[in-house]
Amino acid sequence: MSRPGWTEVAAGRPPGSGARSLAYVSPEGDLALWNDHEEHRTLLVRRPELSAEERAVLGNWRAGRSGPAVVSVGEQVHGYGVFTFPYGPVAMGVAEAGGFEVRTYGERILEIEPSVGHKRRGIEEQVVGKTVEDAALWIERRAGPFALSHAAAFRFAAESAAGRPVAERELGVRALGQELQRIYNHLHVLARLAEAASQNVGAAQLNALAESALRALGATFGHRWGFGALVPGAPGRRLDAPDRTDLEARLRRLGSEFEALGETLLGSRTFLDRIQSTGTVSTEDALRWGAVGPTLRASSVAWDDRLRDPTIPYREMFVPVVTERAGDALARVLVRREEVRGSLLLIEQLLDRWPRLGGGEAAPVEAIEPGRGIARGEGPSGDLVYDVRVSEGRIRSVASRTPSQANWPLVALSLRGAVFTDFAFSFESFGASFAETDG
Amino acid sequence: MVKSWLGQAAAIGILTTEFPRRPADPEELPAAARAPGAGPVALASLPPEVRAACPTGAISLTEIDQGKCVRCARCLPAGLVPAPDASANLGSRAGLRWPDGRPPGGTGPAPLAELGPSLHVFLVDVGSCQGCNLEVMGLANPYYDLHRLGMFFTNSPRHADVLVVVGVPTAAMVEPLRRTFEAMPAPKAVLAVGACAIDGGIFAEAPGRAAAVGEIVPVDLYVAGCPPAPVAILEGILALGRRRSRGPAP
Repeated sequence: MSRPGWTEVAAGRPPGSGARSLAYVSPEGDLALWNDHEEHRTLLVRRPELSAEERAVLGNWRAGRSGPAVVSVGEQVHGYGVFTFPYGPVAMGVAEAGGFEVRTYGERILEIEPSVGHKRRGIEEQVVGKTVEDAALWIERRAGPFALSHAAAFRFAAESAAGRPVAERELGVRALGQELQRIYNHLHVLARLAEAASQNVGAAQLNALAESALRALGATFGHRWGFGALVPGAPGRRLDAPDRTDLEARLRRLGSEFEALGETLLGSRTFLDRIQSTGTVSTEDALRWGAVGPTLRASSVAWDDRLRDPTIPYREMFVPVVTERAGDALARVLVRREEVRGSLLLIEQLLDRWPRLGGGEAAPVEAIEPGRGIARGEGPSGDLVYDVRVSEGRIRSVASRTPSQANWPLVALSLRGAVFTDFAFSFESFGASFAETDG
Repeated sequence: MVKSWLGQAAAIGILTTEFPRRPADPEELPAAARAPGAGPVALASLPPEVRAACPTGAISLTEIDQGKCVRCARCLPAGLVPAPDASANLGSRAGLRWPDGRPPGGTGPAPLAELGPSLHVFLVDVGSCQGCNLEVMGLANPYYDLHRLGMFFTNSPRHADVLVVVGVPTAAMVEPLRRTFEAMPAPKAVLAVGACAIDGGIFAEAPGRAAAVGEIVPVDLYVAGCPPAPVAILEGILALGRRRSRGPAP
C-alpha cells in the first residue's frame, strides 16, 4: 500500500463513486477531507458541496457546541406506549458527564440518542492568541486518555502552519507515546467489557494490565497520561537516552500476561455470548456515518491513518492493520486485541531504530496554505483531524474532528432493537468519550 | 477454565500495594503527580520568568497555590522540588496555599469519624478530561484494591457516604451536582479531586466554566493534581474516613 499525504482535487464533489467517507469539514466550509478507502488516500476538496446525508453527518459532529444536545441518526420513534427514558448525565455506568435519551416501551431500546455537550469547556476558543507551546497544555487536557494523539496532531498541524521543521527524535517520541496510549486504551476497553459481563477475574487482570501501561507511560514520560510529554527536554522525560531495558521489560511482561489473558477471556463462552452479534455495525452504515478506528476496521474497512501518516517513524515501520468482518462488539474486541499486539511490535521497531533517530530535522508536510496546517493522526478510538492557523507564533484558530464525534452515530445505530442489558456491551466496545466529543 | 484463571493469577502473584502502611513509591507517585515546593529556594528570589511560565498563576512572590497548579513541570528547572509524599496534595482550600512555597504546618484535615467503618464512594463528573475519572476508578484495580480498606464504589448517590467530584463545573452540570449531593444521606462528605475541581485548573478562564465546585456543594477536602495519582486520591478518602488498614475502625 502506498503512503501518499494529500491528494487535492477540484472544487465541488470528489470524483468517482468508490467507497469513501467524509473525514472533516472546516468550520468556514471552505474545505473538506474525504477518506478514499479503495486507494487509501485522503482527498482534499476546496469549496466542497455536501450531500444531504453528509450534512447530517456534519451536524452530528457539531452537536453540543452550545450546551447539551443529542446526536441523531434519523426520524424519532413514536408510538403507543413509547416513552423517553433519560440516562445520565450523572451515572456510574458511564462514569462521565454525558447521557443518553432512550426511546423504549420498557424492554427493548427502540432508539437511543447520545446526549453530548455537558462537558463543553470551550478549549478551541480559549487557546486563540496563545503560543503553540502554551496552547498544547489546553489541547492535551481535552481528553486525558487520548492526550498524546491530540497533542501530536495539534503540534504537527501548528508546525505545518508555521512552516517550522521538527526534530526527527521528537517524531519518534510522539509515535512512542501514542502507541503506549493506544495499548492503555485498548486494555481499558477490554476491561470495561469484561466487567460488564461479570468476568471479574479477567476484568481485574485487565485493569491491572491497564495500570501497568499507565506506569510505563509514567516511567518513560514522567506523567501517567502523557501531559507535557511532547515538550522537548521536559523534566521527567527519560527519552533522550531512552531507558530501553526498563521499558522493554515492562512491555514484555505486559505482552506475555496479555497473551495468556486473551486466550482465557476469549475462551470464555459466557463472555463471547454477550458480545457476539451484539451492537452490530454494517459496513454501509460505518461508511455513511463516517466511522473511524476500530469501529470502522471491525466492519471490514481497512483504514488506518498510520498507513497514510507521512512522518518518519510510521513511514519507515511496518504498521499492521487489522480488520474483522462481523461488525459486532466481538469484532471490535478482536481488532483491539490485535492492535495491542501491533502496538507492542511497533514500539519494538521504534526502540530498535531509536539511536538512528538522531539529530536530523524533518519539514512538516501537511501545510494547506501559508499559516494553516491540517494534521491527522490515528488515536486509540480512530483518526482525528486538527486544523490550525498560526501567525506570528500565535494561534489564530483551532478546529478539530475527533474519533468520538465520528463514532457516536454508530453507537446509536448499534443499540437499535437491543435489550437494555446489551447497553454496556455495545457502548463500551466503541471507546467513545464525552470529554473528547465536547472539547 | 477455572484452572487457567488460577494458574495465571498464581503466575502474576500479588500486585497490591502496601500503601498506606508505607509511603508511596515513585511507581505510584511519579514526579508529575507530586506537589512542587520551594525547597531550599526562596520564592522571592525566583526569576520573574518562572512566575510568567506558570500557565495558571499558581506561583506568586509569597506563595505556591497547589490548588491552581496543573503539574506542568515548567517551574521545576528553576529549582522547585516535588514533595516526597502523596499527602502533600491534600488540604482545605486555604491549606493548599503554601506560604513561601512550603507546606503550612499543623494537623491535617479533621477526619469525619462518624462516616463509619465502611465507606461507599460515588463519583460525579462535572466537566473533566476523564483523567481524574479514570484515576479514581483505578482505585478498584488490583494494584490499589480499595476494597481491602473497606471502601466501595456505589452506583447510586443514595447509598454513598463520600461524593468524589471531578472536573470543572459547566453550566449544564451545576444542577446535577447539587441534586446528587442532596440525594446522599447524612452523614456525608465531599472530596474534590483534581485542579479543575479545586479552582478550575487550566480551565479557570474557560468560556464553559460556570462556577467553582465549592460554590455548589460544601467541600470537605481537596486533592490537588492534574490528575492526582490514585494513591493521593486514596489518601484523601482515608483522611475523610480515617480507616488506615484492615480491621475495625479506630
